[in-house]
Amino acid sequence: MLPEEEEEEGNGKTRFFSINDNVDLLAEILGRLDGRSLAVAACVCSLWSAVSRRESVWEAVCLRHASYGNGAAAAATVTSTRSVVAALGGYRRLYRLCIGPALDRLAAGGGGRVPPEASSARHLSLSLSLSLFSIDCYERLGVGVGVGVGVGVGAAAAAAGGRQQKPASLLFLSKPVDVS
Amino acid sequence: MKLQRERQGNLHGGRGWYGAAPEMESEKKKAAMAEDSDVDELLAALGYKVRSSNMADIAQKLEQAEMAMGSSAVANDDALFFQLAADTVHYNPSDISTWVDNILSELNGPPPVSSPPLNAPAPLEQQKRHPEALPSDAEQSSITTVELPLSTRRPAQVYDLEPLPAVNVTRARGRFAYSSDPQMDVVDPSPRDSKRIKFCSSPPSSSSSTNDAATSTASNLPAVVVDTQEAGICLVHALLACAEAVEQGNLQAADTLVKQITVLAASQGGAMRKVAAYFAEALARRIYRPPPLGGAVGCPSFDSVAFDDMLHAHFYESCPYLKFAHFTANQVILEAFAGFRRVHVIDFGMRQGLQWPALLQALALRPGGPPSFRLTGIGPPQPDNSDALQEVGWKLAQFAETIRVDFRYRGFVASSLADLEPSMLLGKNSDDCGGAENEPEVVAVNSVLELHRLLARPGALEKVLGTIRAVRPRIVTVVEQEANHNGGTFRERFTEALRYYSTMFDSLEGGGKSGGGRDQVMSELYLGRQICNVVACEGAERRERHEAVEQWRERLTGAGFESVPIGSNAFKQASMLLALFAGGDGYRVEEKDGSLTLGWHTRPLIAASAWRVAAAAADPRSSR
Repeated sequence: MLPEEEEEEGNGKTRFFSINDNVDLLAEILGRLDGRSLAVAACVCSLWSAVSRRESVWEAVCLRHASYGNGAAAAATVTSTRSVVAALGGYRRLYRLCIGPALDRLAAGGGGRVPPEASSARHLSLSLSLSLFSIDCYERLGVGVGVGVGVGVGAAAAAAGGRQQKPASLLFLSKPVDVS
Repeated sequence: MKLQRERQGNLHGGRGWYGAAPEMESEKKKAAMAEDSDVDELLAALGYKVRSSNMADIAQKLEQAEMAMGSSAVANDDALFFQLAADTVHYNPSDISTWVDNILSELNGPPPVSSPPLNAPAPLEQQKRHPEALPSDAEQSSITTVELPLSTRRPAQVYDLEPLPAVNVTRARGRFAYSSDPQMDVVDPSPRDSKRIKFCSSPPSSSSSTNDAATSTASNLPAVVVDTQEAGICLVHALLACAEAVEQGNLQAADTLVKQITVLAASQGGAMRKVAAYFAEALARRIYRPPPLGGAVGCPSFDSVAFDDMLHAHFYESCPYLKFAHFTANQVILEAFAGFRRVHVIDFGMRQGLQWPALLQALALRPGGPPSFRLTGIGPPQPDNSDALQEVGWKLAQFAETIRVDFRYRGFVASSLADLEPSMLLGKNSDDCGGAENEPEVVAVNSVLELHRLLARPGALEKVLGTIRAVRPRIVTVVEQEANHNGGTFRERFTEALRYYSTMFDSLEGGGKSGGGRDQVMSELYLGRQICNVVACEGAERRERHEAVEQWRERLTGAGFESVPIGSNAFKQASMLLALFAGGDGYRVEEKDGSLTLGWHTRPLIAASAWRVAAAAADPRSSR
């Protein structure tokens, strides 16, 4: 992570190469990390923090760890997925809420009991993650939707306001794993 | 003494359920013969010094202790007992009398011994008659998992016990057989005694037993203390016996048994206790049913639909059954909708609409882009006049807008699905979004845990199936509980329900959550209401008439539908979903005749199937 130093041969002058001058390169590299490392990288400096918040970086991370699987090879293009995910809250959020916990769960659950070659069969499906993500997004809509509802359903709005439940459909992913 | 030990050794080795009986007979004779020496020989084999003349006294004290502990244990205070056992100072533990005295004094004077519950011989006969109603594997696992927390507690005295058969078993025609585990056998089935089995929670590694006092005196106060596994099995027997008593109208016996069940249940832990408690409550409701006129008979039925929805939501979160149902149905619908530009989904049980965001997202991402999507949601009337269906529709519309899927919604309030007419559902909109009018609209009907309610009223299901047919759906997805709770006799229903809900509760426990979380408690309450309805209600009120997938298959094929096999994509998705659940290796997805079932270990609990109108009966679907 230290800036690399290259010295031109035979020349007294040293050329100083800093990764911070090439943010696109930095983004490329960061996109190959896993979620935790990326989050750690975000703590290095403000530039790194900004770069690691780029959607493209998180998109690369997500797609690296979750795939559509063979059966849906003809499935959505990257652009349409991108637009949907952006509408639902972004790749970073997708990773934080769904893919990250799911990977942890699969690693914790599958590691001890499933032989390594079979664990590949338990790869995380992107479509499944997206489904779970969309349910969560939908639940969050409920909190505060009462405000937006028109006058015609005033009573309903009051009821919705009073009935705010924390979105909980993804809690099953982050609850502690029973390791007994 | 040696001969006794040999016999005990036989029991040790023999694993047969019924093998214990003949030995017990001879043991009894031995016990009778040994009475002449002052110290009871059988107990002496265990290391206890008990004078035979004191047996009745000790039995009484044990019973007092058990009553006192029983009442505190029922108040959910297992810890108290173990603490007592552990903290009470004992000198000379082989002296049962003082041991019990110590415990009694710790408890500060137990309540006076209450009159013993009746031992009606009738229930015992009935118990005898269905030995195969023994707990299934799933229940066995529930019993065994129960033992884990208890075994970690080591009370102050630990005895190494030899199997000591309860000598009175023989009097009950030698058919009682409890666990082959070399622990105390407990049954006191003698018709002469007015007292039935009494149990008290005790750590599995230590238990004491005393012979029925009838061997030495004429007293009617046996008190037997057993380990929880025994208690668990006896609990199941008691439940079944009570059901039999209720079916035969023997309400007194049933009443006795219900009280007993409650005491027994307190000695268990975890899933078994909760299941037993709910079943006991349901049985009590059935026994003490207020006159059928007016008011809520039996169950605390839908006093609040919102409450029901809330419980349903917790159940959704805490275990995978509903998620499995939704995801599988969505996958089936998605595949059926492939290639169509206008789609219409009719949902028979809208609730919070948690099924549909995932489908909308999948449709948004399908190759070729999203279709224009119409949703018709059906829900029960809300008592407080709030329009829950409309709210859910708004939320879904908002969601659909963010992911840019053309979405239209219509909500229908109906107290029963049979009130629906096809014209309502088809509701042709003349104000279609421009350009798509000539495209065929393809319809899917989705019913998750809704159809079984229709069986309460004769003819309702047929009407609804006719309505479905009239709508001409491309696919009908049906998800139902995989159990037969609509069987012929009450007893069958009860037995089946006991098995089913034991497995269900087991899976909730094994779900790896920090035990007793709010979700879990709510889910158990949700299931408890179902139990109450299955057991305590009859007639039109009994809405939870679950039937197994084979039975639905018959009904649906009889009504002109044919089965559509659920594809492997749905299976893979379900497997992946389960992998994400903690405790996920207890769940099993299986495919059976084209339908997918999700179960806990070997027992399927929920089944999803897909149907379409049989070709012979259908009109060309593309026409409107």
